[in-house]
Amino acid sequence: MNKKSLNILMIEDDAIEVMKLHRTIASLDKSHAIVEMKNGDEALAYLKSEAPFPDIILLDLNMPKLDGMELLTILKADTELACIPAIVLTTSNNPKDVLSCYQLGIAGYVFKPLSYEDYTLKIKQILSYWSINELTNK
Amino acid sequence: MNSDKIAILQRALIREKAARKEAEKILEKKAAELYALTQELSETNTRLEKTIQQKISQLQVFESIVDAYVVVDFNGEVLKMNESAIALLGYDFRKAPIFLLDLVDEKMRERTQNAFSTLIKEGLLKNFQMEIFSKDGQQKIVQINASMLYDENQVPIAAQGIARDITQQQASEDRLISSESRLTTLITNLDSGVLLEDEQRKIVLTNKKFCELFSIPVSPAEMVGLDCSNAAAQTKHFFEDPAGFVKGIDKIIRKRKLVLGETLAFKDGRIFRRDYIPIFKDKEFQGNLWSYKDITLETKYQQSIEAEKQKYSSIIANMKLGLLEVDNDEKIAMLNQSFSEMSGYSEEELIGKTASTLFLEGEQSEVNSKERSKRNQGLFNSYELQVKTKQGESRCWLISGAPNYNLNGKVIGSIGIHLDITEMKTLEVQKEVLLKKLKTRNAELQEYAHIVSHDLKSPLRSINALVNWLKEDNKGVFDTSSLQNFSLIENTLEKMENLISGILNYSSIVENTEKHQQVDLNILLEELKAITYFPAHISLKVTNKLPKISGDPIRLQQLFQNLLNNAIQHIDKEKGLVEVDVVEHLSYYQFSVKDNGIGIEKKYHNKIFKIFQSLNTHNESTGIGLSIVKKIVDLYKGEIWLESEVGVGTTFYFTLIK
Repeated sequence: MNKKSLNILMIEDDAIEVMKLHRTIASLDKSHAIVEMKNGDEALAYLKSEAPFPDIILLDLNMPKLDGMELLTILKADTELACIPAIVLTTSNNPKDVLSCYQLGIAGYVFKPLSYEDYTLKIKQILSYWSINELTNK
Repeated sequence: MNSDKIAILQRALIREKAARKEAEKILEKKAAELYALTQELSETNTRLEKTIQQKISQLQVFESIVDAYVVVDFNGEVLKMNESAIALLGYDFRKAPIFLLDLVDEKMRERTQNAFSTLIKEGLLKNFQMEIFSKDGQQKIVQINASMLYDENQVPIAAQGIARDITQQQASEDRLISSESRLTTLITNLDSGVLLEDEQRKIVLTNKKFCELFSIPVSPAEMVGLDCSNAAAQTKHFFEDPAGFVKGIDKIIRKRKLVLGETLAFKDGRIFRRDYIPIFKDKEFQGNLWSYKDITLETKYQQSIEAEKQKYSSIIANMKLGLLEVDNDEKIAMLNQSFSEMSGYSEEELIGKTASTLFLEGEQSEVNSKERSKRNQGLFNSYELQVKTKQGESRCWLISGAPNYNLNGKVIGSIGIHLDITEMKTLEVQKEVLLKKLKTRNAELQEYAHIVSHDLKSPLRSINALVNWLKEDNKGVFDTSSLQNFSLIENTLEKMENLISGILNYSSIVENTEKHQQVDLNILLEELKAITYFPAHISLKVTNKLPKISGDPIRLQQLFQNLLNNAIQHIDKEKGLVEVDVVEHLSYYQFSVKDNGIGIEKKYHNKIFKIFQSLNTHNESTGIGLSIVKKIVDLYKGEIWLESEVGVGTTFYFTLIK
């Protein structure tokens, strides 16, 4: 099956988490492009810039400055940005958070497991899912 | 004697004789004159008599009599009548002849005829009553006094009569009689025993009730005439104080003074009220009137009312609530000791004063007058007031007021119960502040727990990733022991992660009734069975159908999940069995979760519910599970306990209110 290579916007303040994603993607046959942003403000600035839209957004909820939930609220209020699938990658399994995120219109909610192995499994499946999807790329 | 002397004596005798003859002649003449005079006088007398009779009959008697005067002939025809008679009868003899018998009631005619005959025969008729009809048809009762009229030769010529109209008098007499009989009936049927004695203490009248009260076996009529002089001594055995009773009666009889409302106690418990009335007529003693009334019931009522009154009075006097009664002008009429203590004023300082001016200031007066007007409309109310005591201290009183009515149902003021709630108020304010603080603290803690758990878990994940990379990047370099250590690091990380999750769960268990809903525990158990890891050798059995419980589904799930996990973790048998059961009680359900695991020693039974108290070193055991269970059961006001035998198994019991 012909899988697309994805442009991923990663919004995460933890350096090791970023490393984990890089390492996981590096271990895949397919290569994906990653843009890293440390927090919501940076991400928003990037998205509002001339840079091309990412295919998908992976974001943490707990971040300094503009946090994940606030960023999602802004994104989903914007007609263009709202179309980019946003997948939450978080340590919170608080049912309240899950509900709020889906209400905002997320495309997925992934709980970060403790074990790195479990993590890679989850990431691989997410990426493989989105790489077979048709996306609205600008 | 000489002849001369004899001659002289003879001559004197002759002279004397002649003189006597002369005198006799004169006397004779005088007698004749006197006879003629007497004769004349007698004639004059007769003439005078006749004239007098005529005069009497014609003028004086006839005209001047106020009563009706009638003269009739032997046929009863009216010859003369005066104006009164005309007025009485309505007929006038000058206009048409009147026959008296025509006026008499037919039934009385014979009797009247007889009476008329008697009058003619005897010449007199006294106080004869007859009924006549006057011209206008009115029946009148008249009393007749009549006599015969005679001519100079004593021959009756007519009858004259005076008639008095006694119709009114008769009617009054009738009324008197009927009123007397009514009075007698009244006395006879009176609820009081009545005894009337004459001055000799002989019974004149008594009634049924009297006989009843003293158990006298004869009728009141038979009592009349009996002597009561000894009655007191005969009846004294009825009374609690026989001697006193006799003495009392004697004293009353002696004094002959009105004695009302005396109370007499009977031996059988009855209580009588006695009234004594001496009867005088024109200041002359006529007899004694006694009245006895059985007031046992009234007395009992009165006594119980009195007792109630005493009770409430003492409650009012001693209660810790201030009581204040004011009139319509808000002048203080009554207060109890507590009110005096609360306000700092003595009773003397308060009575007659206006309550609001004494205690209230500014807007508090407005609040008070508003509440007062409500009470004047007959409404009950309670409200709080900020008052100033005598010492100038500001206190908060809770006042519960009610309108005060007089016997006619008119509002005459109000009664208020006062409770000093200053301390309570302060406490309430403090409580509110504390509660608010606590709420914020709780919210902060929740938030804190989430952040901490996130922040604590992140490094764990990072370490895990890094260890993984070390292993991956150095495949074949590490020896078995090093690899084992890596594996230990991973286990430790996992344990740490579980611990953090446990603390988070534990801290997030807070009361939140908003989330309560009907939870079908059968469905909940089914779901739990699906998401809980049951090793192949362990099976779950739900013995009875579980009920529906009102609660937060997440908490209830946590409750059962932790108990199931606990059971699974501690099963050491080849074939494990976890049994869930329920027993229904009146107000609650008693659940049980039974395992055939290692069992728990008695001395640890209390310890296991405390946080971080894990009795074994099982990898997955954090020691938080049972603490969460306990916390949830506590939250739902239930109880939890266990029965266990080491090596055989453990049963956890807990209750949940229906």
